[in-house]
Amino acid sequence: MLGTARTVIAPARLDGAERAEVRRPGAAATAPPSYWDALEPLLPRVKKPAQYVGGEHNQVVTGWGSAETRWLLCYPDTYEVGQPNQGIQILYEILNERPTALAERAYAPWTDLEALQREHGIPTFSLESHRPLWAFDVFGVTLPHELGHTNLLNLLDLGGISHRSDRRTIDDPIVVVGGHAAYNPEPLAPFIDVAVMGDGEQVAIDIDDCVRAFKRDREAGAPWGSGTQLTRHDLLVRLAAVEGCYVPAFYEARYHEDGRLRQVVPIQKGAPSLVPKRTIQDLEEWQYPRKQLVPMTETVHERFSVEIFRGCTRGCRFCQAGMITRPVRERRPETIQKLVEEGVKDTGFNEVGLLSLSSADHSAIAPIARDLADTYEGTVTSLSLPSTRVDAFNVTLSNELARNGRRTGLTFAPEAGSDRMRAVINKMVREEDLLQTAEIAFSEGWRHIKLYFMVGLPTERDEDVLAIAELGIKTYELARKHGKANKVTISVGGFVPKPHTPFQWAPQDSPEEIKRKLTMIRQTIKHHSGLKLRTNDPEEGVIEGLLARGDRRVAPAVERAWQLGARFDGWHEMPTLPTWRQAMDETDVDLAWFSYRERDEKEALPWDHLDSGLEKSWLWEDWEDARSDKQLDDCRWSACYDCGVCPGLSIEHDTGYSGGFQLPVLPSNLGGSQALPTTPERYAAGD
Amino acid sequence: MSQRFRIRWTKEGRTRFVSARDLTSVWERALRRADLPIAYSEGFTPHAKVSFPDALPVGVSSTGEYAELTFAAPILPVRDLGALSTSLPAGMDITTYLEVPDGAPKLARMLRATLWELVWPASDAAELTELLRRRCEELRRADQAEVIRHRPDGDRTIDVRPAVLELATFTRTTAPAQTRAEPTGSDAHTVLRAVLRNDGPTVRPTDLHAALSREDVAPPIATVRIAQGEAVPDGLREALSGEVERLVPDVDAEAA
Repeated sequence: MLGTARTVIAPARLDGAERAEVRRPGAAATAPPSYWDALEPLLPRVKKPAQYVGGEHNQVVTGWGSAETRWLLCYPDTYEVGQPNQGIQILYEILNERPTALAERAYAPWTDLEALQREHGIPTFSLESHRPLWAFDVFGVTLPHELGHTNLLNLLDLGGISHRSDRRTIDDPIVVVGGHAAYNPEPLAPFIDVAVMGDGEQVAIDIDDCVRAFKRDREAGAPWGSGTQLTRHDLLVRLAAVEGCYVPAFYEARYHEDGRLRQVVPIQKGAPSLVPKRTIQDLEEWQYPRKQLVPMTETVHERFSVEIFRGCTRGCRFCQAGMITRPVRERRPETIQKLVEEGVKDTGFNEVGLLSLSSADHSAIAPIARDLADTYEGTVTSLSLPSTRVDAFNVTLSNELARNGRRTGLTFAPEAGSDRMRAVINKMVREEDLLQTAEIAFSEGWRHIKLYFMVGLPTERDEDVLAIAELGIKTYELARKHGKANKVTISVGGFVPKPHTPFQWAPQDSPEEIKRKLTMIRQTIKHHSGLKLRTNDPEEGVIEGLLARGDRRVAPAVERAWQLGARFDGWHEMPTLPTWRQAMDETDVDLAWFSYRERDEKEALPWDHLDSGLEKSWLWEDWEDARSDKQLDDCRWSACYDCGVCPGLSIEHDTGYSGGFQLPVLPSNLGGSQALPTTPERYAAGD
Repeated sequence: MSQRFRIRWTKEGRTRFVSARDLTSVWERALRRADLPIAYSEGFTPHAKVSFPDALPVGVSSTGEYAELTFAAPILPVRDLGALSTSLPAGMDITTYLEVPDGAPKLARMLRATLWELVWPASDAAELTELLRRRCEELRRADQAEVIRHRPDGDRTIDVRPAVLELATFTRTTAPAQTRAEPTGSDAHTVLRAVLRNDGPTVRPTDLHAALSREDVAPPIATVRIAQGEAVPDGLREALSGEVERLVPDVDAEAA
């Protein structure tokens, strides 16, 4: 055929000494090849190619020779899902602000591009310069949940390095994971080099310092190949000494004869027997991310997001995020206002998200919402507050934030159907309060209420499951009273027990049992055609549950599942469970033993040596309280119940609730004036 | 009070992978970053008044994209559209603007034809140019030229001929700027330039390729939408500037 283009041969993967030259600090380094020229001709052949090109507003491109340490930060899912992630954007900004560091980003390629990359020899690449993973010093991966584990292995392998830590050399990157699923990294133990516990801001800087010092020492040290050179082991020893860093290779898991875990113990001098989590006390010192990346293609959250506080003490017993991010640290209202105003201007986003685990709980949320609503009244900028708190205040707050728009949908999360079940999970809301809140919402013009629930919670009986359907019906009857078009949706998922929570000892329901419970709900509501039920696939929680509470013996199943082709385990489009079941069979991993079994107080847990700050004895006490339907108050408003976090970390809540210091409340810029200028006038005034 | 502008802009480099459906938000954010008083539609979900006459296929470069912008307050076009150009992603640049008087015909009516350029690699340029020249001649003489367009929802038969106004094939010694896939400064490339009508059933450059290739000509390595406007003999009168873009540019005329 005439006019056939020559295939662009991808630059060769460098190995050994050549790779060592690429990773030398500063100008001494040979810049690694860019794979853009090889990638570009393939992009017309894949879905959503814009996700692979980079070039977004606020991306940072640093010359290879201008940095001593080079990071590739990764969210192990598609760009569409990973780009908005705040953790990656915080670290990206912090590291790129360091004059000696460079940070680029990578996401998981969809399977169509992965196949082409493998065919054409294009490794996992960074978006900024399309440089290969293997050239970087640190491959920093956030694990917000467990369903990115196979993608992580795939990214390593595709990136030109071994997926197994013990086969990597000094000339390969250090693989560091963080995020919530890093609180039990044991199923990934053979694959990662370091797991970081807790807030990433300060520890990223510590790791960067450690790697930089190591590279300097290595440059200054013995000549190449002399045998007395610093090794990868030396670097890992230094990293293990950084507070919050866990190096799995320096620990050994010991088991009882019956298969239960006895203990995970350090086997390397200097590796701590209990790895503490890192916590930043003052959020004011860490005003990130300010220069947020603005995608050129669709993502799951396209908005300027500000974290208004970190941590949560509501004490929902199923919630890992609420347990491991304690204590509560609030950002000041005037800082939030400033970050939002500057960020909206800088990015051009027309939506603002006020993020936290329970945003309506910020001590100054009312003035924060009022001032922002004042600032953006009459403009096209909208405000959103992901809060699922079930009370009238939440409705008031939502009214305020919806000033510019329509009162469409409100979301509440009662999580369980019966008052008893809600006492068990410590979600302190009574049915009458919920119904009253729904009544207020509909009477104030909201048209659609979504209610979130879980089934498969500890101690759950069929009557508790039926209560979900009944609560949905009662809410729907209220909805109809206020308007025939009003809607109610109940959304029900299967509960997955997580480490470092009072439910870490609980058995998980099998998918068959979840399916039975969902069918009960569906049967009960079937005569209420306007009441919608949304459910997740009951099988979805199986892989998540195994990886959440598995130990090192689960690692071979992760490896095997990946080898058998498992990717994107959280995607409906990718039904990987059959692959996983085969992998578990082949590697003798007993799902029932890891997931469906109740553990007792004495049993060692795979994450016992990783310290979230919570006392195990307190967690057990709370688990016992749960099983006797006993609730526990939020310690922001009531007495401390000694969960262990604050004294353990020598820090405390930083909120405006306590008698100590009071947060100043910023007066609204526009004074809430009725005569707000309209958009064109606002702009014209500045001309 | 409000002011409307029509602009010509480019979509090159990495931005040629941005899909048509993502364009609106890319432009709206750039307008907000440049702090320009773009007008918004009424209603609960207001949209910035930026309209694009038609969609460019993903992956195709262009120096001939157009848009109409409505501002809620007067702007200083050189300064403000310059600022907008700067705040757009690299590869998207505003090259021409024209203020729209009241009662002006619709933008689409000013864009009745498109000048397309298709470029093949240098490997067998002389032979390919000759072949395509013959095929172009045959196409010109034909009454119809049906091709099958393969789509996920089924195949469609399209007659390419009515859309073809002008065709030219020549050899060019410089590599196309739009692709770095080929080593630059190498041998001559085969270039096909075509003026296609926009006001009939849509015929895309891929359809034109299908009509000419008869399965022995590979797809081009670069496709560029050069400009849009009114077809004139030997070229295209660009819609906003009124300047004629010649079918065979002067630099290439000798080679042609």
